[in-house]
Amino acid sequence: MKVLQRTAIIFAVVFALAAGALWLGPVAAQQAPPAPPAWQQGRPAELANSPLAPVPLPPAPTPAAQIPVSKVKLPPGFNITVWADGMHNARQMAWGSQGTLFVGTRVAGNVYAVVERGGRREVKVIAKGLTQPNGMAFKDGALYVATIPNIVKYENIEANLDNPPAPKVVYVFPPDAHHNWRFLIWGPDGKLYFNMGAPCNICLPPDTHANISRVNPDGTGFEYVAFGVRNSIGADFHPVTKELYFTNHGRDWAGDDFPNDTLHHAPKKGLHFGYPYCHQGDTIDPDFGRGRSCSEFAPPLLKLGPHIAPVGTRFYSGNQFPPEYRNRLFIAQKGSWNRSQKLGYRVMTVDLKPGQPPKYEVFAEGCHEGNTVLCRPTYIEWMPDGSMLLSDDYHGAIYHISYKR
Amino acid sequence: MSSTLRPGVLPVAVIVAAAIVATAVAPVPIAFGAGDVEAGRRKAGPCAACHGADGNSTNPAVPSLAGQPTFYTHWQLVLFRDGRRRDPQMSPFGANLTDADMADLAAYYAAQRPPRPSTASDADTSTAGQRLAQVHHCASCHASELAGPRYTPHLAGQSYAYLVKQLREFKAGTRGELDGATMTSAAQPLTEQEIEILARFYANLPVAPATPGGRP
Repeated sequence: MKVLQRTAIIFAVVFALAAGALWLGPVAAQQAPPAPPAWQQGRPAELANSPLAPVPLPPAPTPAAQIPVSKVKLPPGFNITVWADGMHNARQMAWGSQGTLFVGTRVAGNVYAVVERGGRREVKVIAKGLTQPNGMAFKDGALYVATIPNIVKYENIEANLDNPPAPKVVYVFPPDAHHNWRFLIWGPDGKLYFNMGAPCNICLPPDTHANISRVNPDGTGFEYVAFGVRNSIGADFHPVTKELYFTNHGRDWAGDDFPNDTLHHAPKKGLHFGYPYCHQGDTIDPDFGRGRSCSEFAPPLLKLGPHIAPVGTRFYSGNQFPPEYRNRLFIAQKGSWNRSQKLGYRVMTVDLKPGQPPKYEVFAEGCHEGNTVLCRPTYIEWMPDGSMLLSDDYHGAIYHISYKR
Repeated sequence: MSSTLRPGVLPVAVIVAAAIVATAVAPVPIAFGAGDVEAGRRKAGPCAACHGADGNSTNPAVPSLAGQPTFYTHWQLVLFRDGRRRDPQMSPFGANLTDADMADLAAYYAAQRPPRPSTASDADTSTAGQRLAQVHHCASCHASELAGPRYTPHLAGQSYAYLVKQLREFKAGTRGELDGATMTSAAQPLTEQEIEILARFYANLPVAPATPGGRP
């Protein structure tokens, strides 16, 4: 080969390589490093070998006979049985107006309807394949379901359980998925309240997230209600004052005992509860809280314990439980995963008497033995007679807790 | 009055706790509603034609099931039954299985022994694969030391062609998955070449003997 040709070829090759490097270089530099799975986000290098991971959901519901409900210890006079089983991943519950209990799920994607037919309790699947249809609320014959992407409603549903209507979209959410499975409750103002969680473990969330918000049942009038809320999936209004109380899940990967999950009181709209700058009302986040002070934010009403995972959050206003339970707040705690010794896995009560610090007591415990998970209290709903229904999304069942003198 | 975590440095207690946690053996949880291996053996007759009699597939297009965690196999059958994962050959098989059938099949396959991979390992691919697995956090879920998520499959010794197909489908968003979009997101940044390197890396990875905590 002639020298000139060889030189030309060498130049061409070098040029091509250089051009390729120039083209790839800036692109490669701009690409962010791949993110770890969401549950590992924010895990520091010191904990890289931690075996901690979220408790996996079993692939099918546990038959009632195999659910260790006898392990659950209650105060004297209270009794627990399995009320219904076979509802994979059963979560938030809502009564229809004709005795139907609607039950939502998360990962399973189903919505169930529990009906009594000829003295037998029957579970129907009225929807499948929804994206984490956790939130359940019922009004004027329609079931409202809050999923990650939207709120939909099934009109005239109780008359059509065997042939449900196509859902109508009521409201569409922005697309972030993590911490955006939602609770749904009616406010005293007739609006639907729900969470829009932080789309991360620890980050500066977009303005649209890390809050509790509300909307009219026709999808109009969206408003933010409470800010700086990392991940709330349980809330209720006080039976007397009608004020909003909600629980919140604190961040992961900051140690076994930090931060606490928390209970908050939002007597008015627009308060900021601290995330991501301030955790549990008293500790500034080292990355996001620099230059801030926890005194800028509304502190929690109560620290509930680290990583205990509060879900069902409901006031009692029935007549079956002893009178000391009236207006007490029940908190069902699914239980921890981001802790070397498991914690939570129980139902607690909070006694809120004006002028006194909240009194935090055990109601139902026994759902874990050491690090073995036996059951996971999830959401609470009240029976007309004042007894309690408690869902367990791990076993796919609903328990009945009642009191007899 | 507020206190501050020392910026960027976790308290000593956390690090000590981490050391304890890292060396602790993960507790084996109770498998409520676990299936029966012998019942699963009987029910696995129709599966053998594609997946092999003992769950070791000789067809590169079909995955081996031997030694896979019960949660993984059972959940995939649920996804096939519900149409969240679709495959023209597999979907009809999922359609008529009860929860008990799935539990039995999953228990049977979990108890079977996977073979050693027959393809010799290529040092270059192995190094490149190891680096890609690190960069893309594969071990976050697919490693042996984790107690969970227990619905994650073992990848070592799996069919190369099957792994390539799954990664391509995750990247295309056509492979249904269980928990949000974890694998779909993870596959987005992968080039076709990287898919092939990762698949080759895991296909050639020696299968570790069964131990508490399992294998990658």
